[in-house]
Amino acid sequence: MSFAATLVLMAEIWVWIGLAISALFLTIGIGRVDEDARGAYVFRPLLVPGIILIWPLVLWRWWIIETGRDDWAKRHQPPRAFHAQAWMVLAVVIPLIFLAALAARQSTELLTPPVLLEAPQ
Amino acid sequence: MSDKEDPFFVGYLPAPKSLRWFLAGVSLLLILAFPLFSWAVSVTQEDPGPSGYRFDFGRQTLTGTITLAPYPTLHVTEGSELVAAGETILLAGVGKFGVANRVSDFDGALATLQGIILDRGDLRMLQVAGGRRGVMAAEGEAPTLDIEPLGRWRLSGEICDGKCLAGAMRPGTGIGHRACAQLCLVGEVPPVFVASEPINGHEFFLIGTADGAPIGRDLIDFVGLYVEAEGEISLRGGMPVLIIDPETVESL
Repeated sequence: MSFAATLVLMAEIWVWIGLAISALFLTIGIGRVDEDARGAYVFRPLLVPGIILIWPLVLWRWWIIETGRDDWAKRHQPPRAFHAQAWMVLAVVIPLIFLAALAARQSTELLTPPVLLEAPQ
Repeated sequence: MSDKEDPFFVGYLPAPKSLRWFLAGVSLLLILAFPLFSWAVSVTQEDPGPSGYRFDFGRQTLTGTITLAPYPTLHVTEGSELVAAGETILLAGVGKFGVANRVSDFDGALATLQGIILDRGDLRMLQVAGGRRGVMAAEGEAPTLDIEPLGRWRLSGEICDGKCLAGAMRPGTGIGHRACAQLCLVGEVPPVFVASEPINGHEFFLIGTADGAPIGRDLIDFVGLYVEAEGEISLRGGMPVLIIDPETVESL
C-alpha cells in the first residue's frame, strides 16, 4: 500500500471512529456532562463534524468530567502560561522555515542548453 | 486565580500603561512585517507569463485526427477563429483528468470535439467538454500525420502537466505547483517538458514513453523540479514530442 493510500485509510478510520463517538456522545454523554444541553436536541447534529475532527479530546473531556476531576478554572492556566514561549518559538521558527525554503529552491543557473546527442537517422 | 500585578489587555478597555509601548511596538512591527513579507514572496516568484483559458472565444468546435499515443492529441483539419487547420493540440478533460478513455475509439480517425482552449504561446490544449457533444464522430478520411525526427537530445528543464502549464493554473510550474501537477499526471493529463532553451523553435515538448504508456511513478516523482533528461525528439503533425528515457532523468 502506498504512503498516500495509507494516509487516506487512516483518515477514513479516524472519521468512522469519530462518527461512532459522536453518536454515543450526542445521545448519552452530552446531557451527562452539560446540564444546559439536557432536553435540547436540534443543535446536536451541528456538533457532529467537530466531534469527528477532535474525538480523542471529546472522549478525554467526557472522562474527566464524568469522574469529577474537572476544575474549570485550572483548565485555562497551562495554555496561557505557555503562550509567551510559544510566541517566541514561532517568531524564530516561521522566518527560519521561510528562509530555508528560499535557500533550498533550485536555481535557474543549474539549467543548461540542450545538447544534440545523435542526429536524426 | 487572578494576579493583579499582571497587566491584562482587553480590547474594548484602555490598554494598561505597562503594555502600551509593547503594543505599539508589536503593531508597528506587524504593519512593517506584512508588506515586507508580501514583497519578499512576490519578488522571488517568476512571472507566470501570458496564458490561460480562452473563454473570450467561447466553446470551440474542432474537427481533426485523434492520436492516442503518447497522449491524446488532435491534429486539426477544420479549425476555428482561434485554432487554425494544420495545428496539433493537446487534449484533456475537465478537472485533473485526461480524455484517453473518451477518445479511445477514434485513434487515427476523424472526430469533432468541443471545448475551451487553453493557450500559452505555441502550447495549446483543448479542455474537452463533458457530455456527448464533447466528442463526436466525424465523416471523412483522416489525413496521415507527418513525423519529423529531430534526433536524440539531452535537455534540462522541468516536467509539468500540460493543462496547468497552458494556463489552467498560474503559475503552472515550479516546486509550489508540484503536488497539483502530480495529481494531474496521475489523472493522465498530458505531461510536458519545458526546456531551458528552444529546439527548432520549440520550448514545450509533449512527453511520452517508448511503449506508448502513460508516464509512471518513476517520472512523476521528478515533476516540478529542475531535471536533466535524454530522449528522442520528433515533430508529430507539428507537435513537438519527447520520448523520454526514464533512466536518464535526474534532478539538478
